[in-house]
Amino acid sequence: MAGSHSDPLAHPEVRMGGALRYIAGFISTVALMGAALIVTMRHDMAYQSYVELVGGLAFLALLSQAVLYYGLDISKAQIWKSVSLILTVPLFIITVGLTVWMFQSLDHRTMLITTTFQQPTLLQ
Amino acid sequence: MAHQAAPGANTRLFHPGYEGHSQISARTLGFWLYMLSDALLFTALFAAYAVLDTPMNAAGGPIASQIVNPVEGFWQTIIILASVTSYSLATVAMKNGNRSGTMLGIVVALVLGAAFVAFGFNDLASLAAQGNGMDRSGYLSAYFVLILTHALHMIFGALWMLVMLVQIPRYGFNEMVVARLLNLRMFWQFQATVWVCVYIYVYMIGA
Repeated sequence: MAGSHSDPLAHPEVRMGGALRYIAGFISTVALMGAALIVTMRHDMAYQSYVELVGGLAFLALLSQAVLYYGLDISKAQIWKSVSLILTVPLFIITVGLTVWMFQSLDHRTMLITTTFQQPTLLQ
Repeated sequence: MAHQAAPGANTRLFHPGYEGHSQISARTLGFWLYMLSDALLFTALFAAYAVLDTPMNAAGGPIASQIVNPVEGFWQTIIILASVTSYSLATVAMKNGNRSGTMLGIVVALVLGAAFVAFGFNDLASLAAQGNGMDRSGYLSAYFVLILTHALHMIFGALWMLVMLVQIPRYGFNEMVVARLLNLRMFWQFQATVWVCVYIYVYMIGA
């Protein structure tokens, strides 16, 4: 954490803001989402490969936001935000992953009808 | 080495007037931790959506590919990212002590945020008008709750912006106003982060 400042505008979290960084964040996120949109509209990939590619683009977009918009790094002013995020990300993955895994198991053991499904989802 | 009193019953974790504290750092870190817990709320909604995103849970009603349009979603993505960028540029103006520039950036962010929410509500209203409201199926319940929870966050952020538009000319850039503006920047950015996840998972993988 940064020390005390008599001028609030001199605080590191205020000083870290920069127009070029925010504009770079906007351009990179839009470009990555645009790439994901093009892949989606082409419909020419296997579902598994498609999910991996689009998921990778989403990860890069989120990383871009973390660095360019939120300004997360290992400086004294930001280290605890970065650490708390890194410690929380596994909770996101565990929450969604375990829930999908449990219901996928349940679905396979209890549901009889699978032939009418028109498109794959994460449960299948 | 400076003398430090041993922790005891009278130990205070935080003292508002203590010079060694940075009020802005304490407030932004506290708000950041709140946002991480808020992100866990969205994680639970995504988990529910993942479970209910099957034709069986659509109960004869529409599934994702029939109600979402990735191209329309892309326009919404651009709008919300433009809104976040406008607010972020407002904080750059704040860094330079420019009150009018800060307020202009917030107003633009507010207008773009309102356009984004209007897009979302229009989609939901169209679905409901076709008889596909949130009570139609388990899938639609998960879809509506996910989109509406995000929209409610956006509305709260917009109200917060209106409050700041009053406080900036009234109090100037004092410590409390600066801390609130920084927290609102994180909160507004967080909405774009959640939207990227919604767009990828609901609008693209579901399409």
